[in-house]
Amino acid sequence: MQDYLVLTASVITSGLLIGTIYAVVAAGLSLIHGTILMPQASNGQIFLGSGLLLWLFTTQLGWPLWTAIPAVLLATIALIFILESIIFSRFYQNADRSITYLVLTLGLAQIFSGLYSGTFGKISDTFSVDPPVRGLAFLEPTPLPNARLLAFAAAAAVLCALIAFLRFHRVGRSLRAVFQNREVARLRGINTVSVYRLALGLGTAVSSVGGILYAFAFTIDLTVGWTMTLITFAIMIVGGPGSVLGALCIGLIFGFTQAIVSVFADPTIATFAYLLAMLIMLFIRPNGLFTR
Amino acid sequence: MKDLHALLILSFPVLGLFAGDHGLVTFIVGLVFINMLLASGLNLLYGFSGLIPFTFAGIAGISAYICANLVIRAGWAFWFALPIGCIAAAVVGLLLSFPAIRLRGFYFALSGLVIQSALTIAFVYFPAYTNGDTGITSIPKPVVAGMPVASPWFELLIGAAAAIGAGGVALLMRSRIGSTLIAIREDEDLCRALGIAVTANRCLAFFLASLMAGLGGAIYAHFVGFISPRGFDVLVSLNLWLMVAVGGRGTVTGPLLGALILTPLPYVFQQYSWLKDVIYGAAIIAVVIFLPGGLQSITFRKSA
Repeated sequence: MQDYLVLTASVITSGLLIGTIYAVVAAGLSLIHGTILMPQASNGQIFLGSGLLLWLFTTQLGWPLWTAIPAVLLATIALIFILESIIFSRFYQNADRSITYLVLTLGLAQIFSGLYSGTFGKISDTFSVDPPVRGLAFLEPTPLPNARLLAFAAAAAVLCALIAFLRFHRVGRSLRAVFQNREVARLRGINTVSVYRLALGLGTAVSSVGGILYAFAFTIDLTVGWTMTLITFAIMIVGGPGSVLGALCIGLIFGFTQAIVSVFADPTIATFAYLLAMLIMLFIRPNGLFTR
Repeated sequence: MKDLHALLILSFPVLGLFAGDHGLVTFIVGLVFINMLLASGLNLLYGFSGLIPFTFAGIAGISAYICANLVIRAGWAFWFALPIGCIAAAVVGLLLSFPAIRLRGFYFALSGLVIQSALTIAFVYFPAYTNGDTGITSIPKPVVAGMPVASPWFELLIGAAAAIGAGGVALLMRSRIGSTLIAIREDEDLCRALGIAVTANRCLAFFLASLMAGLGGAIYAHFVGFISPRGFDVLVSLNLWLMVAVGGRGTVTGPLLGALILTPLPYVFQQYSWLKDVIYGAAIIAVVIFLPGGLQSITFRKSA
């Protein structure tokens, strides 16, 4: 009986944690695709890069966290705006730009993964960051590292802040207006190109935060970028591009699926399930569950 | 005139075989021919039918694994295992063309990405037949008259296969099927309205292209002697796409030219294997931004 309780508790906690981190990264991806129609295939590499940079700044250079975290965010946002000005902005006016962006960002992802294996890959295979808090919390039957609890709380806070921003702030509302109808938004005096830039910066920052939190909770290796790209694409397609709520719900479902499957079998089966869910969704409702 | 160009590009790697006793050069020549074959097959879909098949490397992988298993485990001769592998790949390719019936453009490419990833995971996940991440090693060379085919002849044989593949695509595109495929690429709705069987023609293109993928994959397994899931992952599909795009999509010479230029690149920087990904990635971005028509659109503009 006690064993069951421990198992259930550990499935719930690990499902919640991995699910919210998936949801954070997927929300960033979904914001970008929902607004710009840009399926950012290198978003997973940005996520991985944030974790790697955090590792570099804290463990190698010995920076304190309160400088390292802003530095990571600043670096990824600066990078995405440089890419925006030299590559992405050229295609804002093309009607069928999604496919162009998919190929372009796959190319970018290949560049990033080559760079990571040429630099970080030479130093180590796995990277673990010292979390800001140590020790274990005992949530009744099961022990839980404080670092994971913190990562979960921070991820949930980021998601809530994002949903509130999109719902209540004037700028967030203009973002949602562009998701819903580009033409009408433009006619109502919304500058679509600056909304595109905002969505790109915000989405990248959110995914980058996901990478930082992931680095606190787990050990990273260089393959996690591609895995995260696949999983977040699946979450985005099933939840609906542009919908943060969709990313949250589907992210949690995927996280729990992974936690439950890991108890009985190889977690790879969970990946098959995500990919199948995405394929089915592409067939029956390519706009996703949470968009009108 | 264009056929002359194609022949010239096809015969260029043969020069490498005269480089003397240099194992690496002949190895690269063989790889160039294999990539020419694969890229020509991909071009049949991407260039002439307007669909980006990110599943291509996975389909080649299916044939490679089937062929290697039949030869190593069942003790078949390569020449009997090859057609089985090709036909299996073609049938899987036909099944995977199913998304093309409903999905277009971006969503089709995305579904291909999903299927390709699932195939790569499947290659890792069924180690009984694929030996997982480690891959299958020491796959024997094909045997002719009791002897394994020796170095220059095997490369020439692959070259002949590439020539037949490219020639087959060229003949197909001159036939009625070719013009139908191009018509479908240009305006699908109009073709439907004219009574052209859009789905059947697309499925045919998929079947033939997958057959070429299967041929390339099986030859790759027995030429290199080693296959692993990494050899058939999404980046390989992407880079075959790049070869077609660099050369010029929708032309017979384009994929040949692309394979000729891009295949040797990683071996120039052999000590820095990670540079290959950076160069290929940068090439993808450069082609999409600056050269959507491929090299073909510059070099052969006058004769076009």
